[in-house]
Amino acid sequence: MSEQEKIAMIEETLELDEGTLTPDTVLADVDEYDSMAKLSLIVMADDEFGVKLTGDMIKGFKTVADILAVLDK
Amino acid sequence: MRNLIDFSGKKIIVAGASSGIGRQTAIVLSTVGARVILIARREEKLQETLRLLEGEGHSCYAADLSDLEGIEPLFKRIYEEQGASDGLVYCAGINSTLPLQQLKPQKLQDVFQTNFFGFIETVRQAVRRGRFNEGMRIVAVSSNAAIRGDKAHTAYSSSKAAMNAAVRCLAKELADKGININAVSPAVTNTEIYRQYASESSDSEKALMERQYLGLIEPEDVADSIVFLLSPAAKMITGTVLFVDGGLSSN
Repeated sequence: MSEQEKIAMIEETLELDEGTLTPDTVLADVDEYDSMAKLSLIVMADDEFGVKLTGDMIKGFKTVADILAVLDK
Repeated sequence: MRNLIDFSGKKIIVAGASSGIGRQTAIVLSTVGARVILIARREEKLQETLRLLEGEGHSCYAADLSDLEGIEPLFKRIYEEQGASDGLVYCAGINSTLPLQQLKPQKLQDVFQTNFFGFIETVRQAVRRGRFNEGMRIVAVSSNAAIRGDKAHTAYSSSKAAMNAAVRCLAKELADKGININAVSPAVTNTEIYRQYASESSDSEKALMERQYLGLIEPEDVADSIVFLLSPAAKMITGTVLFVDGGLSSN
């Protein structure tokens, strides 16, 4: 899966318009990135990538690139 | 001295006995004289529970209660090997925290499969003619989530609300057979599932404990209430949901 496709999946999960996010986007600046969005991200990572995100991993995410790095595994 | 809670010679089936409230219920039942018949998915956890029981004559059956087709042969086997039972506790359940957009039909199905469909089929098989003794009691483990709304809890809360509704209907239907059926409704209980949650959100935990003012509920607190409902002391109680919630629902 390409980086662009993964970003599109994150956008869909966070209910953002396509093209809103880039790898450099700082998550703290994204209003929609709230506790429900984080929960959605946990479910999406598990369903689509088989990746189990922990609370500590979520806390460690600063930019979209940090999420992409974990989804690569 | 009269002992209100005496289960000598009684056989009680505990479905979902591998951990938390189910395991603790099995332990409490064994301390008041019952022969406990354990059902759970994980064989090694069942054996662990079995080792924690007092007294003799307990047994265990590894089975997945979300496999609805398997419940009929399971209860046939239990009846053939253990005889008629005096009580059933349904503790099998899965929690789920899924925002609406992640709540795909299959995920909703999975939650209902164990929490609700499995419950109904288990009761249906347990109360077949000849499989229970006079004074049979059934207790379902519900949740305060059934009466409270919370984000991302649609599946879990709905499954427990369905359980509560079924308990009321079944109480009327099973009264003709002399069977009482009730639910206990714990609020936040100190189980593995809770400890996972608490490690992720300490702020909301603090806020919750102000409303659940008797404090965090231990599995044995819920187990004791279940055992009360199974006992002769509760013979005029049926079709109710007993809140074991540290005061939460009084807010």
